Amino acid sequence: MSDLVPLTTDHPGQVASATPPAPGRSRRLSDRWLAVGFISPALLLLLAMSVFPLLWALYLSFTDYSATRGGPAQFVWFENYTAILTSAQVHLRALTTLIYVVGAVTLQTVLGFAIAYLISRRTHGRGLLTTLFLVPMMLSPVVVGLFWRFMLDAQFGVINSMLGSLGLGQVEWLTRQQTALISLIVVDTWQWTPFIMLIALAGLTAVPKYLYEAASIDRASEWFRFRTITLPLVWPLLLIAVLFRAIEAFRLFDLVYILTSGGPGVSTETLSFHVYKVAFLGFNTGTASAYGILMVLVVIVLTQLYLRYLNKLKED
Amino acid sequence: MRYPQRRGRLSVPGRKVRLATAAMLVATAVAACGGGQDGSAPKAPATIPELTKDPLTLSFIWFDWPPAHALEAFANAEYTKQRPNVTIKVNTVPNANWHDAMFTQFAAHKTDFDIPILDSQHIGEAVTNGNILDITDFVKKNIDVKAYNPYLLAAYGQFPQAETGKRDENASLYGLPLLGDTWTMIYRKDLIGDKPPQTWDEMISVAEKCQADNPGVSGLAFHQANGSDAAAVTYNTVNGVYGGNLWDSKKRKIEGVLNDAAGQQAMDVLVNKMKPLTAKGSGNWFIDEVNAAVAQGKACIAFNWIAASGGLLDPKQSTLGATREQILEKLGFATLPSQKTNLVPLGGMGMHVSAYSPEAKQAEALNFMKWFEQADIQKKWAAAGGVPSRTDALESPEFLNAQPFNQVYTDSVPRMRDMWNVPEYARLVDIENTNVNAALNGAKTPKDALDDIAKEQQAVLNASNRKGGGGL
Repeated sequence: MSDLVPLTTDHPGQVASATPPAPGRSRRLSDRWLAVGFISPALLLLLAMSVFPLLWALYLSFTDYSATRGGPAQFVWFENYTAILTSAQVHLRALTTLIYVVGAVTLQTVLGFAIAYLISRRTHGRGLLTTLFLVPMMLSPVVVGLFWRFMLDAQFGVINSMLGSLGLGQVEWLTRQQTALISLIVVDTWQWTPFIMLIALAGLTAVPKYLYEAASIDRASEWFRFRTITLPLVWPLLLIAVLFRAIEAFRLFDLVYILTSGGPGVSTETLSFHVYKVAFLGFNTGTASAYGILMVLVVIVLTQLYLRYLNKLKED
Repeated sequence: MRYPQRRGRLSVPGRKVRLATAAMLVATAVAACGGGQDGSAPKAPATIPELTKDPLTLSFIWFDWPPAHALEAFANAEYTKQRPNVTIKVNTVPNANWHDAMFTQFAAHKTDFDIPILDSQHIGEAVTNGNILDITDFVKKNIDVKAYNPYLLAAYGQFPQAETGKRDENASLYGLPLLGDTWTMIYRKDLIGDKPPQTWDEMISVAEKCQADNPGVSGLAFHQANGSDAAAVTYNTVNGVYGGNLWDSKKRKIEGVLNDAAGQQAMDVLVNKMKPLTAKGSGNWFIDEVNAAVAQGKACIAFNWIAASGGLLDPKQSTLGATREQILEKLGFATLPSQKTNLVPLGGMGMHVSAYSPEAKQAEALNFMKWFEQADIQKKWAAAGGVPSRTDALESPEFLNAQPFNQVYTDSVPRMRDMWNVPEYARLVDIENTNVNAALNGAKTPKDALDDIAKEQQAVLNASNRKGGGGL
């Protein structure tokens, strides 16, 4: 019995360090050094590819540095941040991004959950149906953007051709202010509804069957079962999917670049697209770094609030 | 027991790891800080240095369009006769990424190309940042400058920018012409007759009548997209024709110049008279879409760059005829109509030498430029589908007989006007593109769009001394 105690400790390193080195191993090559040796490559990669760029961007965000103009970076302290936060151009893009995120994520959640609910009730062909529904999610956003651009073309596109055969007029999907943002939301929904569906399906299949059986014995209606059993049990998982999608949608760039280039005018320019323009059209690296840091902060703050809500939900 | 052990574990390798990490971060920061330049363009030697006899690949960068492929085929066929150890590679990127692809590499001070093909308006940005070689001395010693229309030589190489139609012989040169270009008017002879409209107003009324007489065919097709310089060139063209100015270059003044009465009239003509004659949903059209509309017989009159018009005569891409001759019975090419002025947009690009290319490749690049600008090579380039810049080549039968629209280019050379060739070009053109596109698609009124362009562009020019927030 006494031999088993160290194995159950929650500090395996403590036990490992007490073990003498294997015969033939260099005395300098202790377990600690071995651990450091194994972790170092990944740690160095992380430092070089993630931590350093982030710290460097943070430093640049306080300067007027330009990647192409070169020369030393002059500190402007919070001038970049002040300019971004007070810019009407940025406010406009923030509003566009907000409308897009709310529209796309809401639509994806409703559709994704509805599809998952319908699939979960099927006994035959569920695997095949799930696989088919997942196909859009597996495609590259650039590919998706390009073929939707062709389909939505007002003159030659298949969507208007179908509308024409139904006796409806042509719609300028990508070149009118009212329809361009809707088109972006529809295309994003087409691609990412399967993600919500997948998470919701996992939640739905995990609901214990005996709850439904008990409800059936009590002659509970379909709606009552959905409202009191299905939804409360799936809701926390669904909210995590919504969180992932909201973060992704907040960073939207590729679909905008391919489908509308931010047009007409700047009416579909999202924050990410605007950062790209600031960074690469004028190479205002300092401003673009501050813009990027602010976007990261917004995501972190909103995520924290969201996670607190999720935890509260869990406790309740 | 636990606490001291954890401290102990961190204290031995942990301290060293942290020290090493900190040292690495400092070293990387120092490396990233270093390499800054003072911003002046380095000079190319007047005489071409000795060329290598080892195999060498000379790389260009351009956007993906027919002239890029024609250049690679032409140079590999002809230049290798003189330099058999050299292979020419023309790397291409989508048009919308062209500027970014070049300038992000310039920013890294390391390029995978030796000869960047810059738009004439990119020169200012590249020169100011020291990204391309100053080839003034090289040109003086190796190029017959009198063989060119002075403005063409200036437009594709001079900085500070030349005044329209002139060249400052004391200014420095940073490039040489590679491909000339301008807009051509493409018109349907079978629908509007053999004689092209002579004035802009006449062109609009002819297009209006043609559209009314031919259901399913739109009166006009032109660039309206908000990417690249599409919508901006369209407005600038109409602005020039109606007597407007883009800016006062000496005073660096845009507000009050661009949006003066002539500018407002040009915007009104574009949005209220020309736009209604275009196809529904054409608000994001650029080169390919305009060509597609012409090839499918969906436009009476269209405007496009000459260098991109070759495909219109390919029966495989056209519904207008089964042979080139049949297509030419229906399609005509003419210089742009005039109105208050006869200005046309300057297109085309020059070739430059990357300041970050190895010396052997810079020497080869200079040798290529010298070879390319010879009279007989320019004529061969014309025959291969290129648009040359030497006057003798422009007037040669090799060029004039190669394509039906080549005469349009030769006739247009004295009428050309360029945009702003300043380091802030990329931002200026984006402001103009997005606002003209907004006006064309009903997102802004013409007046608001033009006033916004003038105000925002002026702010960009004035922001050179601004601290923080540049680029918004």
